[in-house]
Amino acid sequence: MGNLIWHEYSRFVSITANVYAVWAAFFGLFYRKFFWDFVGGTLRDPGGLQPSPNAAIFITLIVKIPIIQILSMMLGLFILAIELPLPAIKQFSIYRSLMVRVVLLLFQVFLAILFYQGTNAAIWSLIAAGCYGRAIMLGETMAEAKQNRGRKGEA
Amino acid sequence: MGETWIQREFLTPRRLVFNVLFYGTHIFLFAYGWHSQATNPKLAGLNSLKFSVWISRGAGLVLAFDGGLILVPMLRNIIRVIRPKLTWLFPADENIWFHRQVAYSMAFWSMVHTTAHYVNFINVERTQIRKEYALQIHYTQPGGITGHFMLLIMVLMYSTAHQKIRKQCFEAFWYTHHLAFFFMLGLYTHATGCFVRDTAEPDYISTFPFYSTKHCLGYLSWRFTIWPGIIYFGERVWREIRARRATRLSKVLVHPSGAMELRIVKPSFKYTAGQWLFIQIPELSRFQWHPFTITSAPEDPYVSVHIRQVGDFTQALGSRLGVGPAVVAAMTSAAMKGAEKDSKTGMTRGDFVELDPAVTSITLPHVRIDGPYGAPAEDVFNSEVAILVGAGIGVTPFASILKHIWYRQKKGKLGSLRRVEFFWVCRDAPSFGWFQSLLQEVEAAQADPNFLRINVYLTQKIGEDMLWNIAVNDAGAEYDPLTLLRSRTMFGRPDWKSIFSTLRQSIESGQYLPGSTSQLKTKVATYFCGPGVIAKALKEACVENTNSSVEFSFAKEHF
Repeated sequence: MGNLIWHEYSRFVSITANVYAVWAAFFGLFYRKFFWDFVGGTLRDPGGLQPSPNAAIFITLIVKIPIIQILSMMLGLFILAIELPLPAIKQFSIYRSLMVRVVLLLFQVFLAILFYQGTNAAIWSLIAAGCYGRAIMLGETMAEAKQNRGRKGEA
Repeated sequence: MGETWIQREFLTPRRLVFNVLFYGTHIFLFAYGWHSQATNPKLAGLNSLKFSVWISRGAGLVLAFDGGLILVPMLRNIIRVIRPKLTWLFPADENIWFHRQVAYSMAFWSMVHTTAHYVNFINVERTQIRKEYALQIHYTQPGGITGHFMLLIMVLMYSTAHQKIRKQCFEAFWYTHHLAFFFMLGLYTHATGCFVRDTAEPDYISTFPFYSTKHCLGYLSWRFTIWPGIIYFGERVWREIRARRATRLSKVLVHPSGAMELRIVKPSFKYTAGQWLFIQIPELSRFQWHPFTITSAPEDPYVSVHIRQVGDFTQALGSRLGVGPAVVAAMTSAAMKGAEKDSKTGMTRGDFVELDPAVTSITLPHVRIDGPYGAPAEDVFNSEVAILVGAGIGVTPFASILKHIWYRQKKGKLGSLRRVEFFWVCRDAPSFGWFQSLLQEVEAAQADPNFLRINVYLTQKIGEDMLWNIAVNDAGAEYDPLTLLRSRTMFGRPDWKSIFSTLRQSIESGQYLPGSTSQLKTKVATYFCGPGVIAKALKEACVENTNSSVEFSFAKEHF
């Protein structure tokens, strides 16, 4: 029993995940670390973890210049703008697309899983994407903003 | 909005005290945790991580406190027992509100704690003060594993507990919230990895709690926080035992408005007027407990609840009893027609249909009930005047209270209660037909016309047909055409301030309660159940009209 509207539920998970992602990416700017650097890396004392040379591209994008973190933060802010939503975004029909959200969230999963702080944001984004996927499977649609808002007495 | 955040949080004395105590304690614990970590010479190694470790330890102590506190407001049975003794101290009826405040605080401090630990672990890896990877601490040690699990559980629990989700699918909330069991396990075992230690390697021992408290210098907070958890668990077990005691659904009355009245016989169930219970119908759902207000008085030989078919559970119950939504719609329209014919003779609006297994062939499902749980209207008899205000569906607890008052009145045991003013604010009266019939009984039974006054306010917009209906039928009729009560229906929203000030003036002049002038102070207790907007207006009216001779008090009930 129960009639859960999946995309409304997913929205809350998505908001949580992306607030986390923005916060994590912010800390990722200061404490830069490639999440998967233990693969093939060596631990030295002193010196810490030396990543494998195969991961050089990620080291460039995450440690040398925090590109991934910045992208993740921007994507997180963009998803939040859609989810909360920002008043200016409400008018576009793309705002009501669940598919767009799934795609954006999967991008977020991909970005957030790459840097050290983003793991939970990635997992939760994946959950949110899954819930949106379920909503699409069930044929849920987002209602257009109420046209009669502000007009009283006709309800 | 009406009032600003500052007004609400800081200029209301009670809220101010709460805020100072609650957040003050949190900040104090944070500062203490920070200080005790930073100044502990044994933890010099960890302290080389500086701010991040101080912050994580401070936040950790706060979280231990919150983890101990989060279950306290959910100890429903204990709260029910201690509430009457402690109403002056804290509003125990606000337990869910408090539970939420703790949860919000927990979310915030989790953020602080987790952020700090992310910094801690990366610095451990960089400086190699312990010979391990950051991710080893995160994902192979108890602290990290339980921490990440608790965060995930929190996401699921918080998101399904959102008011919107709770309303559309209570089950999602209800089942997900039982993840709390694993959350609490995670909380109690969070420190078993001996992360805070003065040795290089964790000092595990073979006996409980499997780490040596000599070298593992955590807060050992589980020793304290586990108690609410144990008590809560015990309470759930006790509720299960109590729910299994002999219970029989003796009768179901279906009222013309579609409300089903379940009459349940359970000798071990003791309650007072205005309380509520949880009901479970294993046939429909084995695990769900649904809250309903008790509508019978303690003097009745049965426990009754009135259930309207509005949600999926209640509709399923209706179908099970053979009175699904379609049947009810037919009954309602028949009743409405009947009402037009009968209203001149003062008859009731159609009659209820009784589903009695002794008479009809249907079988009644098994039911289990759990409760009762508290509500502020229990202490009606301590004041001279009781103002009962029910708005919309919030009128249900007053069915029991009015019946109870009526029983007590018959026995002449009214305590100090002299008069009752009953206000019923609703959008459309006909949808609460069952309550009307109850009001009719109570009204008809009044010997003293002044004891109980019923004021019905109808807030819905009135169409032209209805206007004419009222104009034609109302003039000179003994009963009100809408509610079939002797009291007239009033239209529009009640103006509480003027109602209360009129009441105060008539009390002061001695008209309202003859002979009350000898008393020092007249106590007027207001009980309300319904939406928050009216509550606020009522509370303002109460505060405004309280003076040296008349004291208005206010209590609100929650669902």
